[in-house]
Amino acid sequence: MKYTSLKPQQLPPIFRFRRRARTAPMKKRLPITTISRALTGSYCSSTTSTTASFPLKHVTRSNFDSALSSLSHHIRAADFVAIDLEMTGVTSAPWRDSFEFDRFDVRYLKVKDSAEKFAVVQFGVCPFHWDPLKQSFIAHPHNFFIFPRQELPFDGPAYEFLCQTTSMDFLTKYQFDFNACFHEGVSYLSRKQEDEALKRVNSIYQDEPLDSCNSMKETRDNPLVNIADILFAERMKNRLIEWHNGLLQDRNGGSEIQPSLNRSKQQFQTIFFKMRPAISLNGFTSHQLRLIQLVARKHFKDLVYLRGSGENSDSHHLIVYTDSEGDKKMLMKEVKDEQHREVEMKIKAAIGFRQVIDFLASEKKLIVGHNCFLDLAHIYSKFLGPLPLTAEEFILSVNKYFPHIIDTKMLLNSNNVLQQRMKKSSTSLSSAFSVLCPQIALGSKSSNLALQSCVKVEVEVDDMRSSNWNSGAKHEAGYDAFMTGCVFAQACSSLGIDFKHHSSENLAHNEKLQEHINLLYLSWTNGDIVNLSTGRTCESVGSSKHKNRYPKILFERIVLVWGFPSGLKAREIRECISRVLGPTSVISVYHVDETAVFIQFSKAEMVSEFLGLKESLERSNDPISVLHPFAKLLEGGKTRAASYETYKEICSSSISKVLFADQAEAVGIKWKTKLVESSKLEVQTREHESLHKVNSVSEKIDDITDELSCGQLSPDEIVDSFCTAKVTRIRTSNF
Amino acid sequence: MSPKLKHPLSRMRCFCSKTLSQNHRKYPINQVTKTNFSDSLEEIQKRISSSDFIAVFLQNTGSFSSPWHRVSPFDTSDTAYLKAKYAAERFQILQFAICPFKLQASKVIAYPYNFHLFPRDELKIGMPSYSFTCQTSCLTSMAKEGFDFNACIYDGISYLSKAQESAAKVRLGNPIAVDHVTKSSSASALSVADTVFIERIKSRVKHWKSVYTDSSAKIDEALVRSLRKIVLGSEQCGTRPCMTIDVCSERQVQLVLQMLEDHSGDLVPLIIPAKGGGTQAVRVVLTSSEEDRGLFRRELETLEVEQNRRARGFREVIDLISASQKPIVSHNSLNDFTFIHSKFLAALPPNVDEFISSLHLAFPQVLDVNHLVKDIGLVRKTTNISATMSYLKNRFFAPIAMEIPHQGTENEDKIHGQNVVKISHLFGKLYFILKMTPSAIQSGDHHLASAIHGHANIFNIKPSRPQEAIDEDINIWTNNARKVSCKDVVFLWGFKDRISAGMLKDQLQGSHEVFTEAFDVKLVDRSCAIVVFWQPGLSETFLNVMNSKEISGPLREMVSEGMKAAGYDIYKSVVSSGFWESLLADALDKALGGPNYVSDSDSETKQSEIYWFSELMINLDEL
Repeated sequence: MKYTSLKPQQLPPIFRFRRRARTAPMKKRLPITTISRALTGSYCSSTTSTTASFPLKHVTRSNFDSALSSLSHHIRAADFVAIDLEMTGVTSAPWRDSFEFDRFDVRYLKVKDSAEKFAVVQFGVCPFHWDPLKQSFIAHPHNFFIFPRQELPFDGPAYEFLCQTTSMDFLTKYQFDFNACFHEGVSYLSRKQEDEALKRVNSIYQDEPLDSCNSMKETRDNPLVNIADILFAERMKNRLIEWHNGLLQDRNGGSEIQPSLNRSKQQFQTIFFKMRPAISLNGFTSHQLRLIQLVARKHFKDLVYLRGSGENSDSHHLIVYTDSEGDKKMLMKEVKDEQHREVEMKIKAAIGFRQVIDFLASEKKLIVGHNCFLDLAHIYSKFLGPLPLTAEEFILSVNKYFPHIIDTKMLLNSNNVLQQRMKKSSTSLSSAFSVLCPQIALGSKSSNLALQSCVKVEVEVDDMRSSNWNSGAKHEAGYDAFMTGCVFAQACSSLGIDFKHHSSENLAHNEKLQEHINLLYLSWTNGDIVNLSTGRTCESVGSSKHKNRYPKILFERIVLVWGFPSGLKAREIRECISRVLGPTSVISVYHVDETAVFIQFSKAEMVSEFLGLKESLERSNDPISVLHPFAKLLEGGKTRAASYETYKEICSSSISKVLFADQAEAVGIKWKTKLVESSKLEVQTREHESLHKVNSVSEKIDDITDELSCGQLSPDEIVDSFCTAKVTRIRTSNF
Repeated sequence: MSPKLKHPLSRMRCFCSKTLSQNHRKYPINQVTKTNFSDSLEEIQKRISSSDFIAVFLQNTGSFSSPWHRVSPFDTSDTAYLKAKYAAERFQILQFAICPFKLQASKVIAYPYNFHLFPRDELKIGMPSYSFTCQTSCLTSMAKEGFDFNACIYDGISYLSKAQESAAKVRLGNPIAVDHVTKSSSASALSVADTVFIERIKSRVKHWKSVYTDSSAKIDEALVRSLRKIVLGSEQCGTRPCMTIDVCSERQVQLVLQMLEDHSGDLVPLIIPAKGGGTQAVRVVLTSSEEDRGLFRRELETLEVEQNRRARGFREVIDLISASQKPIVSHNSLNDFTFIHSKFLAALPPNVDEFISSLHLAFPQVLDVNHLVKDIGLVRKTTNISATMSYLKNRFFAPIAMEIPHQGTENEDKIHGQNVVKISHLFGKLYFILKMTPSAIQSGDHHLASAIHGHANIFNIKPSRPQEAIDEDINIWTNNARKVSCKDVVFLWGFKDRISAGMLKDQLQGSHEVFTEAFDVKLVDRSCAIVVFWQPGLSETFLNVMNSKEISGPLREMVSEGMKAAGYDIYKSVVSSGFWESLLADALDKALGGPNYVSDSDSETKQSEIYWFSELMINLDEL
């Protein structure tokens, strides 16, 4: 395994499965069809009266407000709250998938990209509360359909999200209801979005001078040219004078004015607006309204033209009479303030689902998730604001927001007692659930002795209660959150946490959980763990899964090569490099995708050596370079190479092209080779190196003669190898 | 396969559609999903071949992400294409409505179909698309119209583009039948290794074959049979027994084929390609007789045809339309055909000329209703089909009736695809007004010639008006577009947020002497404005002033507050380098700061002309 290339297709079956699993939305768990089949069976045969299969609580726009008030009550009472998310995708491009070759910072960039691009379509929240009377947990699974509707009337970039086709397939496999989500999903605003919206509204209302309110669009005093317009304006002026005079007469105890025409009565309806007489203008075209506005402004000091935006989209137009200049100002201010309040109300209403998250944060509850680093990134980007550039900043703010987080996958893999209980089975959520909580998963109370130690969980949905509940809906966020909570409760009991006596104690501060709290897998693939409390990362502990699978990866020894001729295999790349830099120079060649590879060298110096050699070959462009072993790699002239840092740089871009080579181009990489900065130290070692190189050349010639004697090399290849020797000598003699 | 939906919410859809259907007049439209797709194909083919025109309408998951990403009158054909390309590459088509129709007397006889599409990776090879973007506003408005997302995602028809299909063939690794062994290289001397290899394979094949051909073979126990299967490596290929021989090189493939040809006539070799190209193995299928061999080959052929058809999916319809060579009527052709090209033909080429020639091969005649409307003198925003329709109704007498002979899908709730019928109807009316005759279409009447002529008109950039309108005096008929050379256009950004074009113009008016001549200002988005100098050469003067030290007065004040200006070439480089920031100002800044920006603008830019729509200026002001 050590020297072979690691193309996804060539991975041993176990790894291949994991790769496939990751293309599914979020942590795909094994579909436990066998178990569900067993379940349906148990429904029919089971005689226990407590078995129930009422659905979990689905929350959409229509029942959000009522659900929120009951949920907040449950959250306040909860010992812990389990969460789970369903998204529209995980990786925006194949090369953004998680690899063993992901450095800590690169891994974060990949998670960040995923959380920024994909939408959360379902959010499962399940508060668990210990009932000392029943000696059982009460769970309240909630399944929220969420959808970021653009509800605020401000322009700006359109809300967009990405859908990964494989993830959509996965969702359909589990009967996801897209109509419920897109038609009826609860919308939300992040804190940042809310702040910005409020700021914009406030600045609009502060900046604008009083007399040119939002409702009064500035109309330039264009002279009326059209004869029809002039006549119309004249008639309106007369009409307004009539009304105006009528008002004054009325005040002096005069008689009611008689509108001359029925039609104009409908068009000019006298109403009261904020205790002032006003005309409501109906049935005019926008052009006519503009003319009326012009007339009112030009000829009447005490009439104010207003355009109020009503609840429904069609706005109503008013001409309001004001007593004095002061009264006019007051009216404008009143109108403005009202509009301001209205918009602010709209913004508050648009917060929507974020209220649930805010409540979880303000209650400082223990949050339980399963492999939930990506989930947290989603929560951050959707409900807080743009994700920070570095993992360190992210961890710091998450910890401020959610001080206590437990990851059940982490818990199961790091504790020996639990690992024993898991009996080496997979730590996917559904597998852990069926192993640890068989009484719930199988829906029957068998007399198995092992079940005696099981923590009882009773489910409450609205008024229905069951101690033996199963909705039968796997991979629904609400149900997955419920499973996560059950696994956690059972794990706690296995760790020796006695709920019976600790009911009042805060679970988050239980000493038995202290070594697990706030530890998360940054990447399950290479077992990097991140500690949210300290912000530190460490290698995987306890689990045998991540030990000795690959030689330790040293990122300074890695070169990224892309844009090489298509179809070039890892083995061929390794061969042509080995011929120049020595047979043991290349540790491994790893396909990022079909257009790019990581090459791990045995020594860090080889990185700069390789890049330098490539650069000089491309520069010289003489016949020798055509015969050079690298020619195969450089064919087509589009091969580019750089150190690992460039991979990070490309990962941090917001663009996502499917192929890595296209991505690099889109990011704007124009150079062919990015040489590693040669430090002073390197220059000093050059001499030393060149000496070494001459030696290695002679070694190479020895190699060739060896191989010759075995009759394995074709004459062409020998020429190749000699040329290599020559080129290296030329290069070394330059120094 | 209708999805079993989990809760009553999904029933809401039916409710929505019902209320809608009461308000709108609806045409019967055949709804096609993957369940009835293959059954409807034959009928569709018949309708297409007997039609005069085919109208198309696409429902996508998004249009443009920021105000300035939208194709505007100030775009040249190149920038317009690149904008459309950007959208076509990111968004997805969810519904594709086609309507083959005939014009007979005063009737439009139409057969509308509405296809529900969804990209599904059916072959597990990352095609047709890895991912796609959705705009929430777009999905929300679709939801308001009663769109059934479940029907679309669960039951949508998948597809592969032409380019993807050829790529898929290689990656699928279907067995390839070998007709004749190329004897050229295999004649060369066999090495010891080769001989050993041949002998080993030969004996393996012999042993395996003997089991089946041995007439004395008795009925074994199931266990023995399965054991033998494992030992011999025997498999079933349909009803025929076969075995797979793994090979390490093309040389070995040749050797195996040679050996098989030399030794037995009843074995048919199939080559199993490796995923990354080359050969993975040779499969040997045992046939019982000469007839059986022929039968087997035919079976393979039909299998391949079937598989190709499955992979093509909806593209079958596109191929039918393309093969029919009928004129295609579209409402927003630049948008529609960039989508069609990228999803069903191949990846979009980098520039507009290549796009047009590539598209022309598949669809030689494209008619844009929008353009035709412009031809009769209506110059206003004609993005809305219904608005255009009512405009025509008010101005012209065009008694064209719709006739849809078929019944449509029985399900009353489904009303999708109405627009394609409206387009057909609109076209029928325009056709009547413009007095085009089918023969004119064929021979190339000037209206059509201009419409078809180099698809440029689909961009609304070069409205071909061979003769100025006869009725120039009538206000509404006057074309408001004024020609502007690109070099007289300047982009201005970095001014105060939420300024109106009028305010900006007022500010500029007193700031420098170049603004004493006639000029116009229009906001592109809230961050950036476009300034047109009606007197040639002034833009250059202005740009020079902006970059010089002598800048003074109010202009200096504005520049010190952050205002920047650049010529049209910078805008071009923004679009061509793909700086799709959400604000044009940010994109322009990026392009200015970019290393690839060359200050001397290409001569091409200077020559191209754009149109200035004073009508649009007002619209943008109202934004």
